[in-house]
Amino acid sequence: MKPDDNEIIDSLASEYVLGTLRGPARRRFERWRASTPFVDQRCRFWEERLMHLAKDLTPVQPPAHVWPAIQRRLKLTTHRPALRRIRSFALAASIVLVAGLAGLLYWRSHQAVRATYVSTISAKSGEHIWELEVFGNADSLVVHAARLPARPAGRDYELWALPKGGAPVSLGVLPSEGASSRILTPIQKRALAISSQVAVSIEPLGGSPTGQPTGDVLYVAPLRAPS
Amino acid sequence: MNPAAERPTDFDEQLQSLLGRCAAADAGALHRLYTLVSPILFACLSRILRRRALAEEALQDVFISIWQQAGQFTVTRGRPMTWMMSIARYRAIDLLRRERFAPVLVAEMPERRSIDAESESEGGSAAWLPSSELMERCLALLSDMQARCLELAFVDGSSHEDIARLMGSPLGTVKSWIRRGLRSLRQCLES
Repeated sequence: MKPDDNEIIDSLASEYVLGTLRGPARRRFERWRASTPFVDQRCRFWEERLMHLAKDLTPVQPPAHVWPAIQRRLKLTTHRPALRRIRSFALAASIVLVAGLAGLLYWRSHQAVRATYVSTISAKSGEHIWELEVFGNADSLVVHAARLPARPAGRDYELWALPKGGAPVSLGVLPSEGASSRILTPIQKRALAISSQVAVSIEPLGGSPTGQPTGDVLYVAPLRAPS
Repeated sequence: MNPAAERPTDFDEQLQSLLGRCAAADAGALHRLYTLVSPILFACLSRILRRRALAEEALQDVFISIWQQAGQFTVTRGRPMTWMMSIARYRAIDLLRRERFAPVLVAEMPERRSIDAESESEGGSAAWLPSSELMERCLALLSDMQARCLELAFVDGSSHEDIARLMGSPLGTVKSWIRRGLRSLRQCLES
């Protein structure tokens, strides 16, 4: 594709910078940008402007081991010779520390951005059925399905927030496998903010038609801070 | 509307000087640069990649690219922070493709147009990104859905399909919101 229309170029540049131009089209566009000053200019225009969408990003301090890894990969040496002995000792201490923390790091490496609240919905046997994670100021909810019990055909499991002193508020139908994520509505956010528990009921396919649990409430689980 | 024509801040000049020293193979300058900008780059990478280990690996890749490409940066390319953030964002999007997974969640996203008093303090947006009245004015012209789609795509690295799923809207509608949002921004920015 070699569009010569400036508007098309600009449109592609904006989608490239935004990140929605994906797959082979993205790779073709990258090659085109590298060889065409006008395309590069339009990309820089959008990079500078769209950066304002990220203005509310909160800086996050990277772990201490990242910088030494960069130094190793680039074979950089910024230490003075006089510090070598101390550095050797520090290295030995670091190895011990790293070994001690290996399990923790392994665990953390499989963590996503830290959740604000979590909940584990378990069967009476103790088996986990769903793991819930609430992120941010109750902005989003992620549900991981673990070991689902058999359920009646044509029915769905529905998740509910149980706000103190109020009626249950639906948080949506639960996935039967894998993970699902959803952005919470203001009503769901408010309900979660004053809930210390969540519940699961069995409902008609697609969820309760009334907005309140209509089937049996099968599970109730506490919301807690992540450990 | 050439970004380079905008007045550079003291922070821009500091970063530019450090990039110049990196181009001359001054490892101390890279360390100083890392101290100054790694927290915002790591925030950007973590937001898109969702996996801490992958974000850490990507941060290493980004600083290696900065070190190797520092000689190519000139003020005519815009602000140094934008240049480095773009390297980080594109690296994260590449990794999403190569790792063949999609982000499965949306973490905390501050309300659009919210005015955070702390944003003017160190570590807030003002510390790394100069404010732009024009951009704020143009963003305010977008519909809520258009603005939300652009935020999800740019900040969270969400694809059209991710956004459609997250917002519970048809794919075609999401593509239209994004296309029209970008067109509206361009018209406003260049008017």
